[in-house]
Amino acid sequence: MRSAASFLNLVVSVIVLNLLVTPNANAEKVDIFGYFEPQFIFLYQNGNSYQMNSDKLRIDLQSSTSNVEFGADVIYNLYFGKKSWNILDFLPSEIVGEVPSEMRSYFRYTFNDTLYLDNAYVRISNSRIACIFGKQQISLGTGYFSNPVDVFNLKDAMDPTYEQTGHNSVRLDVMLLNRTSVMFLYSPIESDWNNSGKLFRLKVGLGHFDFVLTGYEFRDKSTDFYSVSVTNERRRLTGCEFVGEIFGLGVWGEGAYNLMEISDDFYEFLIGSDYTFESGLYVLLEYHRNEKGKTSYEDYNINDWLRFYMGESKTIAQDQMYALISYPITDLINLQLMSIFSVSDGSAAFVPVIDYNIFENVDINIMGNIYAGSEGKTYNSKLGNGVVIRARAYF
Amino acid sequence: MIFKPIMLPEEFVRLGGLGEDLTARPFNYLTAFVRKLYGGGNMMRKVLFVFILIIFFGLVAEETGETITAEEIIKTMTETLNPEQSEAVMEMTITTSGDQERTFVYKAYSKNGGEKSLMKYLEPGRVKNQSILMLNNADDIWMYFPGTNRVRKLATHAKKQKVQGSDFSYEDLGSSNEFEDDYKSVLLGEEEKEGQLCYKLKLTGKENSNAGYSRLFVWVEKENYVPLVIDYYHEKDPELLEKELVLTEVKTIDGIPTPMKMVMYNKLDNTKTSMSFRELTYDVNLPDNLFTEMGMKK
Repeated sequence: MRSAASFLNLVVSVIVLNLLVTPNANAEKVDIFGYFEPQFIFLYQNGNSYQMNSDKLRIDLQSSTSNVEFGADVIYNLYFGKKSWNILDFLPSEIVGEVPSEMRSYFRYTFNDTLYLDNAYVRISNSRIACIFGKQQISLGTGYFSNPVDVFNLKDAMDPTYEQTGHNSVRLDVMLLNRTSVMFLYSPIESDWNNSGKLFRLKVGLGHFDFVLTGYEFRDKSTDFYSVSVTNERRRLTGCEFVGEIFGLGVWGEGAYNLMEISDDFYEFLIGSDYTFESGLYVLLEYHRNEKGKTSYEDYNINDWLRFYMGESKTIAQDQMYALISYPITDLINLQLMSIFSVSDGSAAFVPVIDYNIFENVDINIMGNIYAGSEGKTYNSKLGNGVVIRARAYF
Repeated sequence: MIFKPIMLPEEFVRLGGLGEDLTARPFNYLTAFVRKLYGGGNMMRKVLFVFILIIFFGLVAEETGETITAEEIIKTMTETLNPEQSEAVMEMTITTSGDQERTFVYKAYSKNGGEKSLMKYLEPGRVKNQSILMLNNADDIWMYFPGTNRVRKLATHAKKQKVQGSDFSYEDLGSSNEFEDDYKSVLLGEEEKEGQLCYKLKLTGKENSNAGYSRLFVWVEKENYVPLVIDYYHEKDPELLEKELVLTEVKTIDGIPTPMKMVMYNKLDNTKTSMSFRELTYDVNLPDNLFTEMGMKK
């Protein structure tokens, strides 16, 4: 790991130096920008108070000529306070009791300071074709809180719009007609072609609607935490999406059917709607079903919990509803209330948020986490209630 | 002002009993007709003459544009404000009710007389590279967020919302045809505004239209059809002045008179937003695929 990190540092340094120092008559100047983001987390859990703070520095580089664009960003994270956590501390007692005591340290996680290349890509394009090579952002789907067709990213339902790290891939976008385009993507994450990700997307605009068809084949990983074994299997996802409006309401939806090589096939879908009232009050509702999820919290086992926390599955429960209410109390201050309700087990979480653009290039974001479910349910109070205070200064 | 002589019909020529073919030379015809009328001393003929003169000069006046209609003024004004294509760098400064200022700089492209428009933010850092695409006069709006490389489509209920907290809505910035399509216009007369002689018009929201306001009062400069002031009245309360847009510093860019600065005063929130051109040209040939998802990301 150390040698990989060193190599990464070296690559970044070479790229930066090359861009900054090497004289090149044909190149545009390099645009350097980014942000610094200190964050304070206060958590009250099981009668104890904790704090964990972090400082994040993101530096973006961008340079472009008429047909070629280079973009990259490096992220440096520093952590303070309580950095080591054990996932078992957040699980129901009944589940923790299933874990042999000698294995409990296996579930410990420590936030270490990190420096990494978040994105680094070259985009070559003409008027109809764009080809992007390198580590890049891939965001699929029309959903706000979750995206059944997006297997690249896992959104945090408490903070769904927070940026995600890039994915190494080669991507080709071809515009066929004015609102019709196709996208091909190859994600060489495994050792050979067969096991790497291959994606096709067709996007068509019809009237006030956009429709998308997606096909994606890739290698899916699933861990059995009872036997501590990992299963890799081929997964073929067929997805469709739409976004538009009906009777003045914004409507969208996306669904995916997953053909699995070994385990059971499953489907996942999400539908949503939003409306902005004249006063500026914005309301969003989404319903999400993941067939892989359980319908009763009494059936949740350690695999369900840990696959959820490790990012191998999107939900523990089968059915969830999301609601977002947002209101700008001034031009610079916005209030939000997000809530997530697990229909399957009757638990809920509430996330009140204040966004304040305090200075021209400084945003402050205060976010609460309140869990209102009994122990054993998805959003149970054992997860701890807390506050996140985040500032972001752009440069 | 183009004077067009009126060609009188053959029947009318014959009515006067003139012996020569003067239809191709109407003013000669008129002189001859006057001679014939007065030469005869017939009272009925004199009355008829006065009547004909009234009609004649009435028609001439109409042809010369003296009675330009409200619709014609709005149409010309819309065409002046929305040239076929444009490319600009604009600065938008928002002044909040607490006197705090926020400044945004963006590149703006438009095509088909404003039917398609694209805004790409250059400053400040928190919105850098974000873009907004508006097609079909802002009936279809997409926003691009570079941090996640995600494009979100906004429904039309968002059209009336503020762009980046400013006093301009998406509709204000992206809709080029709203004055013609959504409002009935009436010419109230002429009035001096901002030191210029203007047409004063009243625009009332049409039934079943997407008009965002109950009525507007528009002062359009007579000389070049540039609006100088627009008063926007609240959608639900026609007596409540909601916003006032003041356009100044009119310059001719590529042959088109253009207000280089505009300030929107929000009378209800006590805020204002000013927009000015840093760079502007109408002499461009923008490709259609600039106004696509691919164009938003480039």
